[in-house]
Amino acid sequence: METQTHFRPALKPVGQARRRRDSRSALILLAPALILVTIWVVFPILYAGFLALFTWDGAGTRQWIGLTNYSRIITDNIFWHSLANNLWIALVALVFQVFIGLIIAYCLVRIIPQVKRLYLFFYMVPVVISEICIGLLWSFVYNPSFGLLNGVLKALGMEFLTHGWLGDRQTAFIAVLITLCMTYLGLYVLLFVSAMQNISEDMFEAAKLDGCSNIRMFFSIAVPSISDSIQSTALLAIITSFKTFSLIWILTGGGPNQATEVVSTYLYKTGFLSFDSGYAATIGFTQMVLTALAGLVVMRALRRIGGTR
Amino acid sequence: MIGSAVVRHDRRANRHSITGPWTIGRVLVLVLITAHVLAVIFPFVWMLYSSLKTQREFISNVWSLPSSLNLDAYRTATLGGDLLGYATNSAIVTVSSVLAIVLASTAAGYALAIYRPRWVPAVEVGLLMAMAIPAYVALVPLVIMLRSAGLLDSLFGLILPTVAFNIPVSVFILRAHFATLPVDLLEAARIDGAGELRIFARIGIPLAVPAMFTIAIINIVWVWNDFLFPLVFINSPTKQTLAVGLTQFQGEHVTQYPVLMAAITLAALFTFLLYTIFQRQVVGGLTSGAVK
Repeated sequence: METQTHFRPALKPVGQARRRRDSRSALILLAPALILVTIWVVFPILYAGFLALFTWDGAGTRQWIGLTNYSRIITDNIFWHSLANNLWIALVALVFQVFIGLIIAYCLVRIIPQVKRLYLFFYMVPVVISEICIGLLWSFVYNPSFGLLNGVLKALGMEFLTHGWLGDRQTAFIAVLITLCMTYLGLYVLLFVSAMQNISEDMFEAAKLDGCSNIRMFFSIAVPSISDSIQSTALLAIITSFKTFSLIWILTGGGPNQATEVVSTYLYKTGFLSFDSGYAATIGFTQMVLTALAGLVVMRALRRIGGTR
Repeated sequence: MIGSAVVRHDRRANRHSITGPWTIGRVLVLVLITAHVLAVIFPFVWMLYSSLKTQREFISNVWSLPSSLNLDAYRTATLGGDLLGYATNSAIVTVSSVLAIVLASTAAGYALAIYRPRWVPAVEVGLLMAMAIPAYVALVPLVIMLRSAGLLDSLFGLILPTVAFNIPVSVFILRAHFATLPVDLLEAARIDGAGELRIFARIGIPLAVPAMFTIAIINIVWVWNDFLFPLVFINSPTKQTLAVGLTQFQGEHVTQYPVLMAAITLAALFTFLLYTIFQRQVVGGLTSGAVK
């Protein structure tokens, strides 16, 4: 077949040869990326599901225990509590990062464009600085004795409000959520500013002639015009919420008393501080399956919303 | 779908001042947003001026300005720990990872955009899923793999998974870029008898240099800032990267507040400067990388 196409450069075989050539060229160019991703991303993710069938301390010999780890995770309150915290973070991200980000972006693009570039620059600073620096800095902000927050409260004469913000079960999670919002908001402002700049000016002009208020224009023009961008950004916010590790690890390490535990910190502690490696693999694989399922549900839901509009 | 967001971003930015006079409403919006920006940025300003205070000054009043310009904290931060060594390791890991990421994802992005064999959609779905799944899911298996390869606690062993986990996003950004490539150009080269790899090297790559640069800059930020992989894969303090090393440093200087502030400032400085200089690339990379 291959040799034949050489001798008969008629129309049909050329198409076929072309397809084969395309396939081969694509494979050659994709090879480095695919090999790396297969070995170091896809394989370990699936391998985790297999390692979950064993128990071992990270270094010693593995002992087969069947599905014990999987039945353990179903009744593991800490895991479900951590997952719930991840969900809270996702919810807060949707409201306080995506929604507030939309409002700020609208203000910057439509109401006060004079300061747009400058303010966008400032909003983005925490996004590009490492989460470790942000985390260490905010642990100073919340520090009970030498913290900025307590210092400001004292200066305002509100000494009774001063607090060990991260050490108290009541306030630790809220303090973490505030830090997360302050850190990532800039990314969402940026994404929405760049989406809103592409909305045609005519629509706003017409609305303005009709005497529409900014609030009306925000909901009736700006938001519907960039609904694609809002959907993918919301998806990004949810994905990021489930990936979060560094900031929480630096701020609280998941404490106090698991008040700020998320799946990532729980997995890290289980696998690399308690050396319960088999169970850590179980947490990882379960999380992967749940993420994939949630992704499918969210994608389908978004498609339905997009369809009706 | 994704379009050429990398290029598109800044072009339509400054176009008009259609906003009219400063009404009370507009002033109110300006005041509120300014207050918010100040709240976001103030911790950084506070860190900066606190690093110039003496320990005594800091303890007596945490938020007052320093009485004089005092660089002692910076001296202790650079000489009293191993921050420079950590930064060197970070630089080695970042440069080699980013080179590999850019090369592998340029080739892959080109292939996905230009050729459409039947199996390509399957590859794309695979890459999308790899992008959405958190890296910590793979931690335990990765440690086992690295240990059996003898690469645990080595910079090379850290680089491999770092590269692999950053490839999918970069591939999609570059694919979007190559999708805008004029097909006629490639056809013309084919008629001239150029091989496919030659076309990629002679036409694809030169036209993609700005996009490759964007990918490089944004990946420098991501790899430099990464914390989880070095935390788990590197044990020897001499091989540690800056992100983890900084927490080490913090443990050793836990009560020297101005010194810690100086160390955090120094550690944050690199990505901050990178962002300030290459703002367009960072913004372009983030906008096109996020819109998937």
